[in-house]
Amino acid sequence: MPDLEEQLTALSVAIDWPKTPSHLWRGVRRSRTEGLQLNRWALAAVAVLVIFGTLLAYTPSREAIAGWLNLHTTFLRTQSQPTPSPLPSGPLGERLGLGSPTTLDKAQSQVSWKIQIPAALGPPDEVYLKLPPTGPSGGEVTLVYGQRPDIRTSGLTGVSVLVTEARGKANETFFQKMLGPDATFEPVTVNGHPGYWIAGRPHMFAFTDSDGNIYTDTLRLATDTLIFDDNGTVVRLEGEMTRAQALQIGASAG
Amino acid sequence: MEGRPADDSQLIERAQRGDSAAYEEIVQRYQQIVFRTAYVITGSSADAEDAAQEGFVKAYRALDRFRSGADLRPWLLRIVANEARNRVRSSGRRHQLELRLTEGFRPGDAVPSPEAVAIAADERRRLLAMVNALSEEDRLVIASRYFLQLSGEETAAALGIAEGTVKSRLSRALARLKARVEEATHA
Repeated sequence: MPDLEEQLTALSVAIDWPKTPSHLWRGVRRSRTEGLQLNRWALAAVAVLVIFGTLLAYTPSREAIAGWLNLHTTFLRTQSQPTPSPLPSGPLGERLGLGSPTTLDKAQSQVSWKIQIPAALGPPDEVYLKLPPTGPSGGEVTLVYGQRPDIRTSGLTGVSVLVTEARGKANETFFQKMLGPDATFEPVTVNGHPGYWIAGRPHMFAFTDSDGNIYTDTLRLATDTLIFDDNGTVVRLEGEMTRAQALQIGASAG
Repeated sequence: MEGRPADDSQLIERAQRGDSAAYEEIVQRYQQIVFRTAYVITGSSADAEDAAQEGFVKAYRALDRFRSGADLRPWLLRIVANEARNRVRSSGRRHQLELRLTEGFRPGDAVPSPEAVAIAADERRRLLAMVNALSEEDRLVIASRYFLQLSGEETAAALGIAEGTVKSRLSRALARLKARVEEATHA
């Protein structure tokens, strides 16, 4: 009688898998062309919004909808011109995959460490929380800063600095493996805590989370990055900052 | 070299330069394993299809971040598996993965007796039913490693855990499955 592992391996060829869709490439190609992600629910939501928007554009249907909703509202047409801006509207961090928007107090109530807030940047403009399974065990908090003096704001995202925090351990070996040839790292000290200044255009970052799993994360701004280990909390500062600026901001965290 | 399929690194380089035919070849090459991995995670072929497609789109958009010299398959599996997990989480529904055997499957090319075929098929069905009845964590690691035949690195990527954790989790899952098999044998 074959051992269990052999039996399981033998089963693999007998599994009745559902048929692999043959049109995956067509979907990818269409998505690239149209710039749309092919999510059936998202498309359905867009369709509903388009229909609703169209109805709202016409006075009779708009007033009828207001009537159904029992709204006593006067619709005013304003003549002001929109402010020209290349940035999409909505929250700054919404498109960066940082998790769910929240407040500092709520985020603090759901994580075990004291969230480090760099005083040099003032209060964050937005706060995001990412919990497992998409976030590392123990969760990950990201503070988003819009325009700040002397720091360039990203033309694509409207963000100047991201501060990301999670329980875990930064590991030098991971940096060497993941940074690639265009980025360099240098050991630094932030408020007595060991850290690294990563220069170049790093895109990926990995650390060992509090359960010992390796958690890989995208560096959203792909800019020079300061990372330091504050007593078991890995703190990451991304932004178009000089090394001195980043160290000064990191040192103001508390 | 003419007629020989391009290796992954050549395809990636071409795709990074904007050659859509190269990315199409990548999709064709990996769509089966990617779809099946998503199916094991979501337990639903419709959700697996959405996750696979979305994962391929995200991978395409992230091509410039793909590290030269790295293995493509674990990278793709990680992206698609993340997508599949997000889908399960955001939909709030979790389908119980129910793997089945292909009807009339005959292993090998020997010609066994009808009785032997019936007994072997019955054993396979019983073993698969026991795998289906395991906890989700045990089922996922066994399905990834043995049914999808993923390597340790790929299983780690698909499950979003460290390779060392794959080994310990697999060892515990096998021990639990073995106990159930022995229990059923002695019953």
